[in-house]
Amino acid sequence: MASIVRASRSRSGRAARRSARDSRAAARDAAAASRPRFRFADLVDETLAGVFARPARAALTTLGTVLGIASLVATLGISRTAGSQIVGRFDELAATQVTVAARTTGSGSAERAAALLPWDVESRIDRLNGVVASGAVAEVSNPGTVRTVPLRDPENVTERLVPVYASSVGLLDAVRGEISVGRWFDSGHVQRRDRVAVIGADVAAQFGIDRLDAQPGIFIGDELFTVIGILDAAARDEGLVSSIVVPYTSAQDRLQVSRPERVVIETDIGAAQLIAEQAPIALAPNGAEALKVTAPRDPTRTKNAVQDDVNQLFLLLGLISLVVGAIGIANVTLVTVMERTGEIGLRRALGASRRHIALQFLSESMAMGLVGGIIGATVGIITIVSVAGSRQWTPVLDLWLPLAAPLAGALVGLIAGLYPSIRAARMEPVDALRAGT
Amino acid sequence: MTAVDVDPTPVEAPERTPVVLLDQVCRVFPTEPPVEALRSIDLRVDPSEYVAIIGPSGSGKSTLLNVLGLLDRPTSGRYLLDGIDTADLGDAARAAERGRRIGFVFQSFHLLSYRTVEENVGLSELYLGTNRKDRRRRATEALDRVGLSHRLGFEPIRLSGGERQRVAIARALLGEPSLLLCDEPTGNLDTANTESVLDLFDDLREQGLTILVITHDSEVAERAQRRVRMVDGQLTEVA
Ligand SMILES: Nc1ncnc2c1ncn2[C@@H]1O[C@H](COP(=O)(O)OP(=O)(O)O)[C@@H](O)[C@H]1O
Ligand SMILES: [Mg+2]
Repeated sequence: MASIVRASRSRSGRAARRSARDSRAAARDAAAASRPRFRFADLVDETLAGVFARPARAALTTLGTVLGIASLVATLGISRTAGSQIVGRFDELAATQVTVAARTTGSGSAERAAALLPWDVESRIDRLNGVVASGAVAEVSNPGTVRTVPLRDPENVTERLVPVYASSVGLLDAVRGEISVGRWFDSGHVQRRDRVAVIGADVAAQFGIDRLDAQPGIFIGDELFTVIGILDAAARDEGLVSSIVVPYTSAQDRLQVSRPERVVIETDIGAAQLIAEQAPIALAPNGAEALKVTAPRDPTRTKNAVQDDVNQLFLLLGLISLVVGAIGIANVTLVTVMERTGEIGLRRALGASRRHIALQFLSESMAMGLVGGIIGATVGIITIVSVAGSRQWTPVLDLWLPLAAPLAGALVGLIAGLYPSIRAARMEPVDALRAGT
Repeated sequence: MTAVDVDPTPVEAPERTPVVLLDQVCRVFPTEPPVEALRSIDLRVDPSEYVAIIGPSGSGKSTLLNVLGLLDRPTSGRYLLDGIDTADLGDAARAAERGRRIGFVFQSFHLLSYRTVEENVGLSELYLGTNRKDRRRRATEALDRVGLSHRLGFEPIRLSGGERQRVAIARALLGEPSLLLCDEPTGNLDTANTESVLDLFDDLREQGLTILVITHDSEVAERAQRRVRMVDGQLTEVA
């Protein structure tokens, strides 16, 4: 039987096709169940063809979405960029500095408060979470004149008045100091009470000291110290570059220094406020209230207060543009549906189901939204980059933004296309064919 | 031949399944007053028949064609297409059967102006889910069959009326339909173009296609082997 059917097929293609059709008819339900699907590649083709059939209209339709997405992306990006600049550049040094000092108001209490500050600040402060470095410092009162040993150049004046400071080991890091020649003193020097000194670059220049291999000495008043390093820079305390710094132990021994005047702390970004609360307690558990703490105002709070208003305005404008864009897409898609009534009838006649028709118009409106989103994201990013460029900022962009923006556009298109697509799908094929001739 | 003895079903049996079988089909439009566009229509169309439906305007010809093409449902009566009872089919299934079994040719061509000739023809298999390459190949073949293989990349606007209708016929032929339904296919064509379309129908019928043509034009009706007349929603065979 099967062979005869096959033979008859080869004899007459037409009859074979018909018999094939009838066997399909017999298994109608099965055939209906395995109904072939509208392929995705075809949907993409039809969508592109539909959108590009009226390119000018499509371009104008996407404009609202472009504006909406662009302003959203630009607003988010610029505020992100600006926000990170505030912390990132000019305020960074101040934002990470906390200073604890003895209160100077009232003569008697100043003495007492000063007495509360300890020298071993590193062991008390550095364990706090958010501290980068800390150091204590006190200025030596009346150190006397400073001279070099041996006399380098008899012709030059080699006796000067130079500020002298006593400090703990951590000061160098806490003020972001840089040593160009030699070294900073370490805890060994402190413990041994070594008479060593680090001189500022300005002082070194005044005394003509540029090499330390001969272990030059300087007299501070009548006390001899060995120069072990030259301090080139100190970002938090520029005055140190024109001063001499000695370990606090030798200063106690030789220069009549007793207690530190202030403690300088470098914190992580954003930790300054917290450290400002914790440091006095760590330094003087019983007299914290007698200490004066200098900490930056919370920069994000003050600047964001202004920025948030601006941001919210722009975000609102962006959202309004998006809604307008969505209405635009909905409107144009609806007009398109009406114009293409005949096409809808034809497609139904060619085998399209209501679902296929809805899918086509939905994907056309979604495509317009997607393109609007892509162009909008591009325009937004260009805006961010040019605004950042004009203010010499580094543009900062969240990675999700350029990815989410086109999706948001597609979503707008999808929502906008819902009603027109349903209208298109609901059309009766007969009416659509008759109306659209 | 022993196979026939063993199995009582003759090989030719599928040939005898009518393409169209209407049994007491009525279509009443629920307007005020209701319009009985089809009244108890009985019609059988066998494979490879070429039938012309004639009759005055408003007699129900288009309504009949819409029912036959699964674009409209009868109010009552039975319609078997290729032996399938169409009453059992849901909306989506009707769309699928329409795409698979029916080829439509309209008076106004219904070509998409923004697609090429080839794409217009290929559209016919879009919802059958065939792949693009096969579809293009078959569209080319179908256009070859109607003598328009030199117009593949043209836009419909650049074609003459006769050429447009032949493109529409190529499109209708694409899914290897059981039935070609034509509503006034030559209504917008001049004599020469009408002639070329009618010649094409003759060829197609010889190749085994079942054709049903609605027409006002007695010359068009003369070319069919069988004529039925529609008057006031009722169908009568013309001798
Ligand atoms: N959708 C409809 N609603 C109401 N009446 C209709 C509709 N379609 C057709 N008719 C009516 O049915 C009758 C038959 O119409 P039709 O089938 O178009 O005739 P023909 O094609 O023979 O000119 C006419 O009286 C027409 O007014
Ligand atoms: Mg009519």
